Amino acid sequence: MRRERGKSKYVGMRLSEEESQTLSQLQQGSSLSKSEILARGLEILSEYYSLGLDRPPLSIELRNLETEAMHHAEALRQIKKKGEAIRQMVQELQSVDRIVDKYRGNKSALIQILLDIQAQNRWLPKPALMWVAERLGVTWSQIYHIASFYKAFSLIPQGRHIVQVCLGTACQVRGAPRLLDKVTDVLQIKPGETDQKQRFTLTTVNCLGCCALGPVVVVDGVYYSQPTAKEFEQIIEACE
Amino acid sequence: MPRLSSATDLERLRQEILAERDPNKPCVTICSGTGCHAYGSEKVAEAFAKEIQRNGLREKVDIRRTGCHGFCERGTLVVVFPEETCYLRVRPEDVPEIVSRTLIQKETVDRLLYVDGEGKKVVHEGEIPFYKHQRRIVFGNNRLIDPKSIEDYIALGGYTALAKALLEMTPEQVLDEVKKANLRGRGGGGFPAGIKWETTRNAPGEAKYVIVNADEGDPGAYMDRSLLEGNPHSVLEGLIIGAYAIGSHQGFVYVRQEYPLAVENLNIALEQVREYGLLGTNILGSGFDFDIEVHRGAGAFVSGESSALMTAIEGRAGEPRPKYVRTAISGVWERPSNLNNVETWANVPLIINRGAEWFTSIGTARSKGTKIFSLVGKVNNTGLVEVPMGTTLRDIVYDIGGGIPGGKRFKAVQTGGPSGGCIPESLLDLPVDFDELTKVGSMMGSGGMIVMDEDTCMVDVARYFVNFLAGESCGKCVPCREGLRQMLNILNNICTGKGKEGDMELLEEISEMMTDASLCALGTTAANPVLSTIKYFKDEYEAHIKEKRCPAGVCKELITYYILPDRCQGCLICARNCPTGAITGGKGLVHVIDQEKCTKCGTCLEVCPARFNAVVKLSGEPVPPSVASGTKVVRRK
Repeated sequence: MRRERGKSKYVGMRLSEEESQTLSQLQQGSSLSKSEILARGLEILSEYYSLGLDRPPLSIELRNLETEAMHHAEALRQIKKKGEAIRQMVQELQSVDRIVDKYRGNKSALIQILLDIQAQNRWLPKPALMWVAERLGVTWSQIYHIASFYKAFSLIPQGRHIVQVCLGTACQVRGAPRLLDKVTDVLQIKPGETDQKQRFTLTTVNCLGCCALGPVVVVDGVYYSQPTAKEFEQIIEACE
Repeated sequence: MPRLSSATDLERLRQEILAERDPNKPCVTICSGTGCHAYGSEKVAEAFAKEIQRNGLREKVDIRRTGCHGFCERGTLVVVFPEETCYLRVRPEDVPEIVSRTLIQKETVDRLLYVDGEGKKVVHEGEIPFYKHQRRIVFGNNRLIDPKSIEDYIALGGYTALAKALLEMTPEQVLDEVKKANLRGRGGGGFPAGIKWETTRNAPGEAKYVIVNADEGDPGAYMDRSLLEGNPHSVLEGLIIGAYAIGSHQGFVYVRQEYPLAVENLNIALEQVREYGLLGTNILGSGFDFDIEVHRGAGAFVSGESSALMTAIEGRAGEPRPKYVRTAISGVWERPSNLNNVETWANVPLIINRGAEWFTSIGTARSKGTKIFSLVGKVNNTGLVEVPMGTTLRDIVYDIGGGIPGGKRFKAVQTGGPSGGCIPESLLDLPVDFDELTKVGSMMGSGGMIVMDEDTCMVDVARYFVNFLAGESCGKCVPCREGLRQMLNILNNICTGKGKEGDMELLEEISEMMTDASLCALGTTAANPVLSTIKYFKDEYEAHIKEKRCPAGVCKELITYYILPDRCQGCLICARNCPTGAITGGKGLVHVIDQEKCTKCGTCLEVCPARFNAVVKLSGEPVPPSVASGTKVVRRK
């Protein structure tokens, strides 16, 4: 940006102490004036809004990507040598092999195979899916179609503990939305999300078939009937 | 286990099993369906095992974990044979007393018995009003058998229908019997099973398939689960008989993966029938070959639709296809496939054993036999009930269900799941019958029956169902995908106070379009919840739209919580429990809710002591101005 001496328009902004300091820091590394930096900031902000990055669906996607990236970074950090990384991947693929062999490599058993992989890993890791595509001779898009169509599958790593709140009609009529409010308050995540530390994944389900207990929340396969917020907190605390 | 190669082998085995069992030997049966399991039935069973061992009774008393008994409100159910003493709400702590008093001293533990409306205690399971008014021809055996034991099933006469069909009847005769019985599909469609079987049998092609639809997706309905968990053999027997009648040699059972216990018990049952030669090649020496594969669903409501399910069996995403090519002619891998619901299959052995004439003696003119309903929601006796077709809704809700808890007023009963509608009080004397329910804008559906009371908002119910369907729609056809989205938008607006004139007419217009043009039944029946609530509860819609008022006090944006100054006693309980700290006021001073901070969670109403009753929900009226802070309460006696 060319600096026009004396011609730049003064817009007049009052900055707090902290903001002034930040602006000075930014100016230190660059050849721009303070007002140029602010103008550039506004440009970037308008680009941000025009790309729709402020809209919830996109930001959820970004958050999911971030979680996945963190998971991989964590996993990578724990692997010391290349050989170990390869060995671990081979082990993962071998477990996929065992599952595929159980169904005799039958293409029509694709959903069953994915269910088993999901149960084993708590999600569908991409390498496993690509290996299934290889073994069964199905395309990557077919697998992705199924993985995104059915609710049982998760394409991002899930928490160590699964919390399910039933929103079936009977539970609904007995006050399930209020139970869901309590649960989201305690866990600080919304349905479909996993918390940052991957401790919990919260999902809603449409009927567990124990309507006499309604409203119901299930934590790791254990059913709790009509818990108060306090009772739920205690249950959660016991989960690592 | 010896392979059975004839009807006489089966009968001999049955006699052997019966000979080993003493009908007078005490037996403790513990209901172990998923419902009671959630109540802790496994701990109760373990407690019994320990206590019986401790008292040295292991050789003298049997323990049996059975399938669901149906009286889910009072789980865990324990029935002691041979007296058939029925104990309700049993917890592990109650077990030592039951063992010492009932098993050893032959006395009843009165506090665990059922108490009827007049305070009288009922000892025997069959006399409890909940059961007395039912006719449990399909479901009744759950209480007598351990689902993991084929011997229990055989002891009761299991697989004799199969032997009769395979060895004494031709496939055409079996088909005829089912047609004469007028068995209509129990999964929702109500289509005559016999005709579907015939179409499949006559369709061109050697390879044919029979399928059990156990993808029970309707929220609030769990009959199929309890049948599959508690008596899987009844379903398998029906399937094999059907396969014989149709000429199929390969069967599938499609179970939703949300039913792990059903999948487990089904797999155990399949192992057992294969061992005994009741499945596989040359079944019972008849020369008929048949085998069954289990497929798990993966969590999609629409995959329970007949054509979608078949697509899922092929390993593709379970989306429905157009119906002008009937699946009975071109189904799985384009071969003739006959799909029926779990309950439909379970009725088949009964029809074969006792005859179509007996079956048609139960029910109404066009709906024969019984139907299992899951009676849930705002009702005292939540559970699974089996009644003959023609029983009135009033009998089910009041005589069997025991009416509405808390003395609240009945408002509606919703049948048929998301494809059905709400039936108001004025129509409670309607008999349950496929056609009668459809005439009033609802449908039988798979059997879910949800009772609603005065605290249920009918607009919210419509919104709930449309929201559910919008999430489950596969998205293939525009009428369903876009229609549901727009209806949800309108209903959300109505529930949040943004409804406008013309909204109801618009909903009706969209409904008409969806009913005419959707690809599958999810779309064509999606209009039912909306249209039936508009028809019978128009006043609620008008209150929401014109007065911005929710008569039932449910829709959060239309209600405010208010503490009545002349009833508040200043006890601080609500203030302490309010999660956002919205209540001000000290001890002995009138409490006031700050409406800006209030999140309408309802905790204050919940915790205010019943004798004060100071918190009310206002709707459609402005909040009265708050009293000055520091106002003292008016002490009440």
